[in-house]
Amino acid sequence: MQITKVVGCILIILSSALMGFYYSGELKSRVNNLKELRKLIVLLRGDIRYGNTPLPEAICAIARRHEGVFKGFFARVSEKLGENSGSTFAQVWAEAVNGELIQTSLNRKDKSGLVQFGENLGYLDKEMQLNTLDLYLSQLEDEISDLSKTVKEKSYLYSTLGIMAGIFISIILI
Amino acid sequence: MEGIYCFKKLDKPWGEICSMKTKDEVLKIFSLKLRAILGRLEIDFGGLQEIRLRINSPLAISYNNREYFVTENASLADNPSDGVIISKNEIRETMEYISNYSMYAFEEEIRQGFITISGGHRIGITGKTIIQDDAIKGMKHISYINVRLAHQVKGCADEVLPYLVDEKNRCIYHTLIISPPKCGKTTLLRDIIRQISDGSRYLPGINVGVVDERSEIGACYMGVPQNELGIRTDILDCCPKAKGMMMLIRSMSPQVIAVDEIGSREDLEAISHVISCGCKLIATVHGSSIEDIRSKPVLGELLQNRVFERYVILNNIKRIGHLSEICDTSGNRIYYSGY
Repeated sequence: MQITKVVGCILIILSSALMGFYYSGELKSRVNNLKELRKLIVLLRGDIRYGNTPLPEAICAIARRHEGVFKGFFARVSEKLGENSGSTFAQVWAEAVNGELIQTSLNRKDKSGLVQFGENLGYLDKEMQLNTLDLYLSQLEDEISDLSKTVKEKSYLYSTLGIMAGIFISIILI
Repeated sequence: MEGIYCFKKLDKPWGEICSMKTKDEVLKIFSLKLRAILGRLEIDFGGLQEIRLRINSPLAISYNNREYFVTENASLADNPSDGVIISKNEIRETMEYISNYSMYAFEEEIRQGFITISGGHRIGITGKTIIQDDAIKGMKHISYINVRLAHQVKGCADEVLPYLVDEKNRCIYHTLIISPPKCGKTTLLRDIIRQISDGSRYLPGINVGVVDERSEIGACYMGVPQNELGIRTDILDCCPKAKGMMMLIRSMSPQVIAVDEIGSREDLEAISHVISCGCKLIATVHGSSIEDIRSKPVLGELLQNRVFERYVILNNIKRIGHLSEICDTSGNRIYYSGY
C-alpha cells in the first residue's frame, strides 16, 4: 500500500514537473521562433529593397534557402500564389499562417500580428513595402526584447512551479 | 518582287507550334472568371493578337486582324452588346496576377504604361496617373488593360538576313528596322539576333549583346530568357538602353549590340559610343518610312550622319510582318516588295 502511494506521488510530481518544463521550453522556443521570423523578414526586406523582387519570387527564394520551422509556411504561400487561384495575397498569407504554423511556438498574438502584416504587403509602392516591413520588424524587435528580459525568470518559474505543484498535490493526496 | 510574309516561312503555322504555350502563359494572368471564358474559346491562340479589358465595357479580342467580342458562353460575337461586361473586380484581380501580387516591383513599368510578363507578352495599362514634380510617379485606379501577345517566329528573318550580312568584313551592317506599331519589328529583331548568334549559312555565329529594356526581346523570367536568342547572346534585362549599351561593351565585349525602340537623346550618344567601339548595331524604331524617321529631331541626326548601313522597313498593309523594302546607307532601295 505504502509503495503504491510512493509510486503515485512520484508519478504526480514527475508529470507536473514535465508540464512545467514544457511551458518553460515553449517560452524559450517562442523567443527562438520570433528571432528566426525576424531574420526571414530581414531577408525579405533585402530582396525587395535591393532587387525589387515580386513577393512570390522573394518568398519562394526564402523557402528554398531556409530549413527551419518556417520553411513549410513560406513554401505554402509561394505555391498558392503561383496558382493564381482567385484569392488575394492577404487571404493566401492568412491561410498559411493558420495552417502551417501549428508546429511553432508562436502564440495567438504573434500569429494575428503576422496576419496583419500580410494584409499590408504587396500594396502600393516600394516605399510603402519597406515601411510595412520596417514597422513589422520593429514590432518583432519589441516583442523579442520584452520576452528576452523575462524569459529566464519565467522559465525558471514555470519549472519550479511544476515541481512544487506536483509536491503540493502529492501532500494533499497523502 | 513578292514581299515576305514573315510567318509563312514556317513549315506549320505559328499557332500550331506554340499556341498551347501561349495560351497557358496568357490565361494565367486573367481573373478566374475571365480565365474560364477565354480558356473555353475555340480559337487558335497563335492568331490572337490582343485581349482588351475595359471597365464596364465588353471583353474584346483582336483575332486574325479582326475585332470580336467574347460572350459569356465563350463564343465570338461582332455585336458589342453580346460581350461579357468587365467589372472593376475582374480588373483588380487581373492586375494582381499581372503584377504577381507586387505592384511595387513594377513601378518603373507602370510609369511607362506597360508591364511585360513571362513569354514576352506586353500588358498595356491605363488609369489615373499620379503626378509628382511634373513627372508621372505611378498609376492608380487602373481601368483599362490591353494584353498584346508576343509571337516568337523562328525563321522570319530568313529573307532579310542576306541583305544585312557584310561578306567582305565577315560581319553584319549597322541596321535600323523601321515599322509602325504592331507590324512585327521586335519579332524580326528577335529572329535576326538568334540567327546571327547561332550562325547561319551567310555568317558564322558571333557574340551578340542585347539590351532588353522592356523584357520584350528575350522575355527573361527570373533571369531565364523565354524566347530563343541564340547561343552566343548575352542579355542585359530591364536596363535603360543608353546605359546598357555602354555596360555591355565594357563587360561582355559583343561584336553586335541589339536594342529595341530607340529614340532618345541618350540613345543617340550611346549609339555613337557603340559605333566608335567597333561594335555593330541592330536597332528598331517606330516609323513608316526613312523620310518619316528623317523628320524626327533625334533620329534625323542619325540618318544625316549616315550611321546606319541598312534600313529594313516593315508594314502590315496585307499581313503583319510584311517586308516592304530594304535600303542602303544612302537610302537607295536594294529590295522592294512593291507595296
